[in-house]
Amino acid sequence: MSRRRIRNILLKEWALLFTDLNSAFVITLLPFLVVGQGILYIWLASRFAGESMLTTQVFQTALQKLVEAIPGITQLPGNEQLLVLLLSQFNFFLLLIPTMIAMSVATFSIVDEKLSGSLEALLATPVRTWELLLGKALAGAIPALVMTWISAGIFLLVVSGLGWGELIGFVVTTGWFLTLFLLTPAVAMLSFMLGVTGSARAKDPRGAQNAALLIILPVFALIGIQITGIVWFTPSLILVLALAIGIADFITLRAAVRLFGRESIVVQWR
Amino acid sequence: MAIIETFDLSRRFGKTTAVEDVTLAVEAGEVLGFLGPNGAGKTTTIRILAGMIAPTKGYAIVAGHRTDRDVEQLHETVGMLTQTPGLYDRLSARRNLEYFASFYPSIESQSQVEKYIKLMGLWERRDSKVGAFSKGMKQRLALARALVHEPKVLFLDEPTAGLDPEAAGEVRELIRTLREEGRTIFLSTHNLNEAEMLCSRIAVIHTRLLALDTAERLRRRFFRRRIIVQLESLDARVREAVRKLPFVQEMGEEGSQLILELSDSERNRPELVKAIVEAGGRVIGVSEKQYPLEDVYLRLIREESQNES
Repeated sequence: MSRRRIRNILLKEWALLFTDLNSAFVITLLPFLVVGQGILYIWLASRFAGESMLTTQVFQTALQKLVEAIPGITQLPGNEQLLVLLLSQFNFFLLLIPTMIAMSVATFSIVDEKLSGSLEALLATPVRTWELLLGKALAGAIPALVMTWISAGIFLLVVSGLGWGELIGFVVTTGWFLTLFLLTPAVAMLSFMLGVTGSARAKDPRGAQNAALLIILPVFALIGIQITGIVWFTPSLILVLALAIGIADFITLRAAVRLFGRESIVVQWR
Repeated sequence: MAIIETFDLSRRFGKTTAVEDVTLAVEAGEVLGFLGPNGAGKTTTIRILAGMIAPTKGYAIVAGHRTDRDVEQLHETVGMLTQTPGLYDRLSARRNLEYFASFYPSIESQSQVEKYIKLMGLWERRDSKVGAFSKGMKQRLALARALVHEPKVLFLDEPTAGLDPEAAGEVRELIRTLREEGRTIFLSTHNLNEAEMLCSRIAVIHTRLLALDTAERLRRRFFRRRIIVQLESLDARVREAVRKLPFVQEMGEEGSQLILELSDSERNRPELVKAIVEAGGRVIGVSEKQYPLEDVYLRLIREESQNES
């Protein structure tokens, strides 16, 4: 029964999501903007700053870690080493896509229903809180995940188009795949769980969105940690991270069910 | 047999008491009108009975389930029409109903959805988006949603509020149909005529339960039964003849009407008419003076307010 209910929540959410122009716009266009912007920054950095960037302490440390992870990179000229270093951040940069979509979509998923009065009617049915939250989180996380994978494909195409095709072998590593197919789903789910929970706890739509802003910060932290050379995320480290976030997903779902407060949702603001 | 029972049901929100010590019982198949001014605790009571919120004191049993404990089972056996229709405007009528029906394990949702869309007269518009519906159509669809799982008890929270007279009439007609089917309905309303028209008993609440009885008995609690005798003309002989009758307790006049309080309004009537005719009076009609339910309601609320102050 739970699977049927979750599936129905998911299908209903999709029916609403893709008939709402704003949400459809965010889901379909945001990935292109993120990829476009990322590539633009890398192109600008390599075109105008070039090898000189590698002389800074921060990048030297990062490059050292990169060499430890991919020894073959030492064969490349300095400018291409810089490119590999920057392009290697892109798998983390792609994590912005599910988190930003979550911020835009999940934060309103409960708030909108509360405002329209449909949530009260829904809570009068035998639906369980975890079914409702999971259904709503999956409804956002799945399209966000698909768009992230599409974006990864677009990224590789653009990289080839810019004449950096021979560097792809250094960028698309085991770590890249682990990030894309293990870490990204875990992060997407976490973002949407937090977004939906924030939405359920918020007293008004503005509060929901403010709470969701916090989701995006850890993703920037990941990029920052790697590009400054503090930690280089090797495949095993990514695997551990994905596992930790997977556990966090489960804990968040359980916490969300406790925090949901069906009663306050029915009684408080409308 | 009571299908809804409450025992000292109370609910506080912070320092405010919304509902206090409400004890009542509703029989299966009964339509109970739940009246009270704004903020009297009607919606809070309904929410407690429908398992949406818990009481802070006392408890309620609905269809055999404690409303604060067996919430999931309770939700399978009760239906609720909330104050706002709460539908998804961008989905069709059918899709809306299918969605809500999908949460009930015991029903064949497709046939139930079709049944209620037809019953609510929305079959022709089943694939139209709800956003394009009138208020009345939305309310009928919301009623279908409350009924789609064949609940034993139906809670209706101001079902005709904000509807135009025609749409309100349609909704009332549907409630009447449900009453004839023998469903138990707990109807919260501001509309006293609606309550009298549809309900077998009426409860008046103002945080506490002020009264619970049939409309007729509530009237008698505050107003004595009076008989109106409409005459062609009222003269001294008729007045005198009526005054002499031993069962006439009180006599008043209004134009060519005699307004009388009798010892036994039913049994004394033939004798009364006979005496008037023998005194030369020409009787056009005999009826009972009707006191609007509104008068009863206002007296109850006024008395409660005086007690409070």
